[in-house]
Amino acid sequence: MRVNPNPYPDLLAAVAQTQQQINTDEQQIASGQSVNVPSDNPAAAATLVQDADQTSQVDQFQRSIGSVQGEMQTADSALNSVTTALQQAISLGVEGANGTMNAADRAAVLTQVKGIQSQLLSLANLAYQGNYVFAGTANQTAPYVLDSSSPSGVTYQGNSGVNNVSLGNHFSLQTNLPGSQLFSASGTDMFQSIQDLINGLESDTGIGTAVTEVGNAMNSVDTQGVFYGNALNQLNSQQTYLSTETTQLAQQENTAGAANLPAVISNLATSQTALQATLEAIGQTAHTNLFQYLK
Amino acid sequence: MSSLNASLATALSGLIAEQGALQATTNNVANVNTPGYSRESAVLAASEPVVVDPLTFGTGVALQTVESIRDPILESQIQQQTQGQGQFSALASALQQAQVNFTSSTSDIGTGISNFFDSINQLSTNPSDLSLRQGVLTAADNLATSFNTTANNLTQQQTSLDLSVVQTVGQINQFTQQIAKLNGQIGNLENVGESAGSFIDQRTQEIDQLSALVDVSVIPTDNTLTLTTASGAPLVAGQQSFQLQTQSNAAGLHDVYSQGADITNKIASGQLGGTIAARDQQIPGMKTQLDTLAAGLANAVNGVQAAGFDLKGVAGTNLFTPPPAGGVGAAASLSVALTDPSLIAASSDGTPGSNGNAQALYALNSQSVISGQNPTDYYSGIVFNVGNATSNASAEQNASSLILQQLNDQRSSVSGVSLDQEAANLVQYQDAYSASAQVITTINDMMYTVVNMATLTG
Repeated sequence: MRVNPNPYPDLLAAVAQTQQQINTDEQQIASGQSVNVPSDNPAAAATLVQDADQTSQVDQFQRSIGSVQGEMQTADSALNSVTTALQQAISLGVEGANGTMNAADRAAVLTQVKGIQSQLLSLANLAYQGNYVFAGTANQTAPYVLDSSSPSGVTYQGNSGVNNVSLGNHFSLQTNLPGSQLFSASGTDMFQSIQDLINGLESDTGIGTAVTEVGNAMNSVDTQGVFYGNALNQLNSQQTYLSTETTQLAQQENTAGAANLPAVISNLATSQTALQATLEAIGQTAHTNLFQYLK
Repeated sequence: MSSLNASLATALSGLIAEQGALQATTNNVANVNTPGYSRESAVLAASEPVVVDPLTFGTGVALQTVESIRDPILESQIQQQTQGQGQFSALASALQQAQVNFTSSTSDIGTGISNFFDSINQLSTNPSDLSLRQGVLTAADNLATSFNTTANNLTQQQTSLDLSVVQTVGQINQFTQQIAKLNGQIGNLENVGESAGSFIDQRTQEIDQLSALVDVSVIPTDNTLTLTTASGAPLVAGQQSFQLQTQSNAAGLHDVYSQGADITNKIASGQLGGTIAARDQQIPGMKTQLDTLAAGLANAVNGVQAAGFDLKGVAGTNLFTPPPAGGVGAAASLSVALTDPSLIAASSDGTPGSNGNAQALYALNSQSVISGQNPTDYYSGIVFNVGNATSNASAEQNASSLILQQLNDQRSSVSGVSLDQEAANLVQYQDAYSASAQVITTINDMMYTVVNMATLTG
């Protein structure tokens, strides 16, 4: 069998192949990624696209939580102030209902209750970054305006709309409670009860009934207001969940696309040795043929 | 009857034959690095003997021919494999260039889709905020730009592949002209019984190079060769070559014609086949998928827009310029129709604070709005397809390179010049030449003896 007398093309092909391997290894080490172009691993490249989208979504959910959290915390603390004010109104009403109280004292109590009325009005018209928090979705105008023609002394100009915000892949949260539900629910209307208390103090009749009404209104606000506390808790636990998800996604991304550095570095060393050996082989074979021995 | 003169002629035939053989060796050594050269071998044979009853005398040696050592079957396998190699290396290189558009970056389509939906999610936290609304328009604009850039890059690549088709056809025509000319020269030599070895080597080399460009089928006929494409379009018949033509088609790309017939789709391999496959199949396939994604996304977003209300409570209008019917060219032409951020229909009840429709827009993110898949999944499918096609073409290219290398090794082991062998031949022919020369000297002495003998007796 005649041997191929020209081994150079093979040797050069081997050199080229080894150099290609070295390039790939070096690229992986430099980028830390095993998938630098889709053809490196098509399935992993597709997974990485989805992972990147998931990661981006989770980051956005965190930002959105941050955005709604501020408004909801403000709403929650406003409701606490409402409760305090209503408690104060109840004490004043109990005081005013006392038969020993003279007209002048009642007038003083009346002034205080009127003060509470306007405080409640301003709390119900709470605005956060230009949006009226308790106006439903008609949040660009103040929901409650003074109206002497109305039996409750105010009219509600908001609506009953609520917003939900997606804060997870299968998690969306209601972010507002309209005043119509919170303060002006039929039968437990807060402004009506305060107006009734004012009317009672002015006429010195039915103060006790009015106090009961205020109490009912306060209970209603408390009960409804639990919504904000719950929502804030949910935001917290969702935040925790999302940070775990971020970690998991980073791990998935790592599994799919990160270079296995110890393996790559060891491959690189092997390839470099192989290259050295091939080059030496070329150097050795270069200068031997029979012509050199002919004299 | 034998004579000293006859012996002298016999010895002389040795000198001449060995000199001829030495010439073959010299030529081999000179061509040791010539690509495609097949080593030559001197064929020596004993001359016709002279019969002088009852004796038979040899009359020396004749250099019958100098033949080139080659294996035609191996040559044809190399040509076959070269076609495949040409095809896959053209395809792989086109796809490697194309897949860069689908490599993840801060401006790729996947990131664009994520950022667009993220901006809508942010808007849903405060739907009346103008800066958040502007954020959605900016993200939509970036997404449209990503689609435009990717589609335009692919179109540009298609144009440069088209140019390469025209250039390759030009190269093919040059090779077929040269091969037809060589056919003539080889025919002329062989008709007068002479060896056309080096011309055949040259022709084989040209056919190898032609094979890298197009799928050639070689049909040997008397003293010459006929070349056609695999589908039968004539390239060379004897001394005549048939030019391929290119002609611009309705899409502005060039079709390949042979003898007036469009053979574009029939060219299966070689660089031309690979380039046409990339230009007419692979890249248009990617563009179609991008168009489907762009059109599906734009229509879905516009549909939801129409169901909601803008900041002023007016029914929503198209956010994206409606894609062309059927979607062809949708990716290249995708653009944002709105410039006023207040026109985004985030509200579902007409109040500025409602985010119901923004939520519906956001939900498109996870809805099967594009061929049964959500936008990101569909895009990741495109990335997979592009990566897979590229990786397959590269693998095929590597495999055919390896096979070609092995075939070339085999060819070299048959036809390659070995300097060791040539050195040994040199020594062998030199020794024989010296020996023949020594024989002539001896005969010369004998002649002298005979002549002097005549003088003595006279």
